[in-house]
Amino acid sequence: MLKLKHGVYVLLGTALFYASCSSKSEEAVQPNIANETITQASLKFTNQSNPADTPSCTYTFHLDNNDNVTSVDSTTLKLKANSKYNGVVYMLDQTQTPVFVVSNEIKQRENYHLFFYQPTPINTAPVISNTSPYIPGTPVTPSLPPLNLSIVRTDHDTNNPPMQVGLTTVFTTGGASSGNLRFVLRHQPNAKNGTYAPGSSDLDVNFITVIQ
Amino acid sequence: MIKKFIHLLLPFTILVTFSYGQSNQAGLLFQLSGKIKDASTGGMLPAASIAVQGASNGILSDKNGKYTLKVTSGPVHIICQYVGYQSIDTLLNISGNTQLNLSLKPASQSLNQVNIRAAATAPKEIATQNLTVLQGSDLDRTRGLSLGDALKSITGVTTFQTGPSIAKPVIHGLTGSRVLILNNGVQLEAQQWGQEHAPEIDPFIANQIEVIKGAAGIRYGTDAIAGVVSVSPKALPTDTGTMDGEVNAVGMTNSRLGAFSAMLEGAFGKKLAGLSYRVQGTYKRAGNTSTPDYILGNTGLSESDFSAALQYHHKNYGIDAYYSNFDTKLGIEYDTEVGSISDLEMRIAEGRPVTPYNFSYFIDRPYQQVNHSTAKARGFYNFSDSSKLELQYAYQVNTRREYEELSFSPSLAPALYLQIHTSTLDLNWDHKDGGGFSGSAGLSGMNQGNIRMYEYLIPNFVDYDGAAYAIEKYMHNNWLFEAGARYDYRWLRAFAFDANAARIDVTTTDYSGTSGTLGSTYNFTDNFKITGNYSAAFRPPSINELYIDGVHASLAEFEIGDANLKTERANDFSLSLNYTSSWLAVNAEAYYNRINDFIFEEPTGTYYHAPSGALLEFQYTQANVYFRGADLGITVKPLDSLEINSKSSLIYAWNETINNYLIYTPPTRLQNGFTYHFGGVGAFKNISLGAENVYVAKQTHVPPGYDFAPPPNAYSLFNAHVGFKVIINRTLADFDIAANNLTNVAYKDYLDRFRYFADEPGRNIIFRLRVPFKIFTNNKVPTNN
Repeated sequence: MLKLKHGVYVLLGTALFYASCSSKSEEAVQPNIANETITQASLKFTNQSNPADTPSCTYTFHLDNNDNVTSVDSTTLKLKANSKYNGVVYMLDQTQTPVFVVSNEIKQRENYHLFFYQPTPINTAPVISNTSPYIPGTPVTPSLPPLNLSIVRTDHDTNNPPMQVGLTTVFTTGGASSGNLRFVLRHQPNAKNGTYAPGSSDLDVNFITVIQ
Repeated sequence: MIKKFIHLLLPFTILVTFSYGQSNQAGLLFQLSGKIKDASTGGMLPAASIAVQGASNGILSDKNGKYTLKVTSGPVHIICQYVGYQSIDTLLNISGNTQLNLSLKPASQSLNQVNIRAAATAPKEIATQNLTVLQGSDLDRTRGLSLGDALKSITGVTTFQTGPSIAKPVIHGLTGSRVLILNNGVQLEAQQWGQEHAPEIDPFIANQIEVIKGAAGIRYGTDAIAGVVSVSPKALPTDTGTMDGEVNAVGMTNSRLGAFSAMLEGAFGKKLAGLSYRVQGTYKRAGNTSTPDYILGNTGLSESDFSAALQYHHKNYGIDAYYSNFDTKLGIEYDTEVGSISDLEMRIAEGRPVTPYNFSYFIDRPYQQVNHSTAKARGFYNFSDSSKLELQYAYQVNTRREYEELSFSPSLAPALYLQIHTSTLDLNWDHKDGGGFSGSAGLSGMNQGNIRMYEYLIPNFVDYDGAAYAIEKYMHNNWLFEAGARYDYRWLRAFAFDANAARIDVTTTDYSGTSGTLGSTYNFTDNFKITGNYSAAFRPPSINELYIDGVHASLAEFEIGDANLKTERANDFSLSLNYTSSWLAVNAEAYYNRINDFIFEEPTGTYYHAPSGALLEFQYTQANVYFRGADLGITVKPLDSLEINSKSSLIYAWNETINNYLIYTPPTRLQNGFTYHFGGVGAFKNISLGAENVYVAKQTHVPPGYDFAPPPNAYSLFNAHVGFKVIINRTLADFDIAANNLTNVAYKDYLDRFRYFADEPGRNIIFRLRVPFKIFTNNKVPTNN
């Protein structure tokens, strides 16, 4: 039968067992590091006929300790009516030290990245092709005055045949109007074919846009 | 004659197993010998197995059907089995050297055999709860599959999947932290809370898999609120001076999976008598899985496992040591890491991958790399009053690295690293007396430490658990009564880094509760019984439910934990009926499991704005829910050689707090099939041929607003198999060829998280080979076999 002696052994064993478990390594908490984060995305423009006219817009993500987004802010893009602008993309990961210029890395990996630029509201569905920077499925709202803006990408990757990237663009404005510019970066490993569908979005933001 | 004898003995077999199973070594040794023959032809049966129940010194008959077995004096329970024949289960009173000739009737898997084997299994930990055992040819037919997939043939059990390579078992509608998995008696402690974290177990080690359906917290602790899956290797050999081996090979056409497993075991003789060992290893490799219409990119896997066991058994005591290591790399299907709801909606509208992929074994990002190692030491002592004391210590380390798809970073680091260390100490005392009382009581302790790196998902934590329990059974005439109680305590301290305040936030919580069970079985006749059971169990919130804070990449979900969650509490009622006759076996179970303060994720209705777009926010919360359902298994045997099976599982789940259905409840599942046994043709022995249909209904009971797409349609699959034995080098080798999804149906399953992205696998033809062989018998190379 079970004797008191056995019970004592058990209690001793249990005490040793708990004493042997230290929690030092759990207390030394490692910092939270994400492999990739985009904390800031900017579009910078230069008016083709007036180099002093350099509007831009910036979208910023504010992160908490866990690298989760707590708030965002963005600046309005103000473009002159009936003008042509050269645009470039500038993206940062400010959680890294030194600050990591994401757009430079994307230039190096341009064969599987593709940028999309979609003005809204629109009155007619945009022409979708593998050279169009517009996003399929964008709602058409004939009742609202459209944002008079058209965009073409001007750079190409090293795929064969070469496909567009969208790190550099030309924005052409029409008459005064306002709306939004949806700016999307698609990540399309082994799958880039010029269209929106393959892959997934790395960045998907809206800039309030005023053409005046 | 034998059959009648068996029927008479049925009620006693359990008692005999209880009383004499462990006292074999006490008596004198005598020789039991004789011949085993085919009852219909009178021909001798070579390699038929004969063993004493409870001892593991079973042997095979020689080429002339002769056998010799050492037995102790007093009553012994003899089991004689041969695949393709009905087993014989008999009791003998040994008082000297005994001659026993046995005649086996053809047609394996007879109802009697199934029934008797079930009745003669080791005493269940919880006698009045529904226990299903997967073993023998049913288990063999799952070799090469993951643990989750292997359990799908059990009524009331299904899987929750993440693509073709990750499957978690679901019991009566519940999974994850609510299903406890035992690996050779050690509760598997990994990151069970994750939906895409498959159990880290090599199913090749299993000789049997037991599934308890229902709240089994009373014996197994707070994680067993929905049930228990126990994976057990066979007992180590005790026949002195023997060495045996077994080789398993599996090949699959879909995914071109190759699995190879080898085992070597033996028992030392002479001065080392009582010492036995086993070493076992498995290597598995698979490439991309195919659906009927396309290949799923990056769905390969590789796995290598190793285990070793050593035991020493002496008269009244024994000690054993066990070590296992499981290592896997699992590819996660390409294009399933969506950045936003709009990405996910686009994927759902496409319903299939937009990019075509070719077959490859290469595993790319995203993938998971998981290692799990377990070390266990156990000792037991059998007291003279046939009670038994057991002490077990186990230490486990689980290391999980998850690598996400990288867009622009040159980093080689994983997105997530989690390592959990677990020590468990269990003390159990079993007792039985002559008057019908038996039971067990014990103490359990656990200590865990979790360390994370890279991204934040769950915090570092330390926890201490302690429990005490007692379960008592009383058998009287046709009745069996059972009652038990348990107390559990958990202390949990989480450590999270607060960069802004430059300090570490420490949060400490503790949980405690009682579990209980109350049950009874009434045997109307030897082959008809009804069992009722009520079990109460509780579960403290898991670490993710309390503290998760992050993005769930493939579901476009942003999950938020709640540090103030209370324990959830289950009240599980079940009623089961078992009937067995010579041509019919029925196993029916109905259950009602009510869980108060059930922890689940609820959409908050707000969106989280990640750089990649909008994600839906989900917060852990609690509600009162219930599950009710029925499992029905029927076997009909119109001919000796034909067996027809029908299995149905129905389940209904309701959330009373929000007055709606519960998400991810398994839909109705029906499995109907037959197996026909041919006997032998030429060199092919024990040929069996079978086919089955699996029908899974559409789940129409879904809460609105919780899912991104409606449940997929019902589907119907056909599977077929043919098995036979061939003598290779004096050893009977098992061959099995199975075809799953024979008609190559394209379908989606509701309980697969990747149903948004792609179909389930298409036709898969599986080739299995198992060759057991003997190296030494009695310290000599065997001359005949």
